Amino acid sequence: MTVSALAASAASGEFGHLDEQSKREIRCALLTAVAVPGYQVPFASREMPVARGWGSGGLQVTLAVIGPQDTVKVIDQGDDAGVNAANLRRLIVASTGAAQTTDARAASIIQTRHRIPEDPLGADQVLVLQVPVPEPLRGVERDMRELARMHAEADYTAIWVSLYEDLVRNGVITQSTGYPVLVGGRYVMATTPIPRWDVPKLHQAEFLALFGAGREKRVYAVPPHTDVEPLAFEDVAFQVERTEGASCLLCGAVDAYLVEVPAHHGWICSDAAWCERHQRRSGEGGGQSG
Amino acid sequence: MGYSAARGGLDAILAAEELMRAKRDGGSSPPLGADQVTERLNLAVDRVMGEAGLWAPRLAALALRQAEGDLIEAAHLLRAYRSTRMRLAQPVPVHADELEILRRIVPAYRVPPGPQLLGRTLDYAGRLLDVGTTPPAKPDPEPTAPQPADPTRDGRHPGRLLDLLRSQGLIRDRRRDDDPEPHDITTDPVRPGAPRSARLSVMARAETGALVNLWYRNILGPDGYIHEVTLGEVRHGRLPVRVVHPVTGQPVCLGEVRVTEVEAIEDLDGEREERAFFDVGYGLCLGHNERKAIAMANLDIAVERDGGRSPLEQNVLMTTDGLDASGFLEHLKLPHYVTFRSMVDRKVAIKAAAERRAPESPAPASSPVEPATPTGVTR
Repeated sequence: MTVSALAASAASGEFGHLDEQSKREIRCALLTAVAVPGYQVPFASREMPVARGWGSGGLQVTLAVIGPQDTVKVIDQGDDAGVNAANLRRLIVASTGAAQTTDARAASIIQTRHRIPEDPLGADQVLVLQVPVPEPLRGVERDMRELARMHAEADYTAIWVSLYEDLVRNGVITQSTGYPVLVGGRYVMATTPIPRWDVPKLHQAEFLALFGAGREKRVYAVPPHTDVEPLAFEDVAFQVERTEGASCLLCGAVDAYLVEVPAHHGWICSDAAWCERHQRRSGEGGGQSG
Repeated sequence: MGYSAARGGLDAILAAEELMRAKRDGGSSPPLGADQVTERLNLAVDRVMGEAGLWAPRLAALALRQAEGDLIEAAHLLRAYRSTRMRLAQPVPVHADELEILRRIVPAYRVPPGPQLLGRTLDYAGRLLDVGTTPPAKPDPEPTAPQPADPTRDGRHPGRLLDLLRSQGLIRDRRRDDDPEPHDITTDPVRPGAPRSARLSVMARAETGALVNLWYRNILGPDGYIHEVTLGEVRHGRLPVRVVHPVTGQPVCLGEVRVTEVEAIEDLDGEREERAFFDVGYGLCLGHNERKAIAMANLDIAVERDGGRSPLEQNVLMTTDGLDASGFLEHLKLPHYVTFRSMVDRKVAIKAAAERRAPESPAPASSPVEPATPTGVTR
């Protein structure tokens, strides 16, 4: 290769924004993550066109695994129309030429912040989760060298004790989102902050879940058919969010993750595309209309 | 089901971008040229290049203009641009003694070896706001670059105070015999317990304000670990950039960068330290930014002396990047209603658990709830 050819290739717009060397590095880290489920793999997080904390990790993971034949769905809080979801989607689509969809069933890659779609995902789908804080033990230990030791030795005493103390003091385990889970019987892992409602979807899943923490420069993964067990006691069951009597004002759903709409004294689904489909179906079926 | 359902958010961000563009590129004054930014706002350009970790004055000026003068945004633009570029070559290491000085201060001696060269500085300018309504006149004649008394090669490349102190046997010798490759923080993420090269790289790219604050917090804060140093060298000057020529195999000079370099002399006064010696902290960053280089040098030796006993190293390595901190802070503006709903669920659960444990206590009066009005709900 001549210098001018090298310079020309460097000057042309890169597929997927990142240069090829960066994408290879991220894929290498992801392979390690898949091989060691739940283990936080350090990676050379690049600066992206979005700020740290705004999905830069998820974006790098998506851009490292996406091809032009892929169909991508991007959601924030479950909503495709959220402003940050829209921004990430246009960056992904513009730099890769991938197709876009809001239908979770039609997407080959779903990048998400804070939710897992209500539709069950299949073996041909990859879920990419944006992770703000990848360290599940930070609440009980701040020193990074000590945290590394605790994971290496599977010394999870501190977090178990904190859950027990929480229960004794408050009568319930008060952890809301990002509930800690034991992956493959080995590593305690932070579930981004997805609600507890979504945590069981990771257990023995058909799909591959990839987690990207850009600011903290770590990726981790839950491969298909992996045990993902919420940390809970034998006699105190893990609880998901549920409000007695709540149903979606738009589609009538009861069995979905609902968010409150105080102005209307009611609830709506957080998974907007799923909700819209259910509204149409119930409309066609002459059932509950929204 | 397809694109239209996701249109609302996109329309909103396109409108927001248009509002930004209209104000920035509109107005009654002439458009701002990149050359004006590099010439008239050169300290801002230097700071952006330093925090971006990329020497590119014109690109930094374009970034500053695009970011409307927001330094963090400009550094972000520059770093994100760098992410799209392939790394074509590794430079050959240059010795800091090759620095051609434009300014050099040695506070530790009245008459040090080599010149005290004040050079270009605001240090002794009266901080009097010039409220003149007419633009400043061009200087006449245009002053030349500051000259040391001895404008020869030796005058431009003076020896170091450190060398003098070493010859007097006053410096604890931490020089090592091997020559390990420096830790490249852009390809290998940093964790506490990192080699010194990683620590220095992190601080060289760190946000200036973050380093200054970390330094000051450790001077005056409740958890201080820093001991005030005496500055041995404060330099601003030019360093050559060389790469190995792919054909000849010889190093060739591609150009030069300006850097600020600081050596901080530290009094080893700890109980278990070698009291008969000084030690040295080092700071070097792109561009003219003495504030940053001084904080860096003092933090470098502070981390060394601390030896991992306090959280100082983790603070230096993990909390001083401007893009990390600002991005994470501002992400709080993103919607958090999924997580908040989950938190409310737990508050309700805690209350219910308390009531179960104390069933005799009166239940709070339930407030009347208006009927749901589903027809009024839209996304």
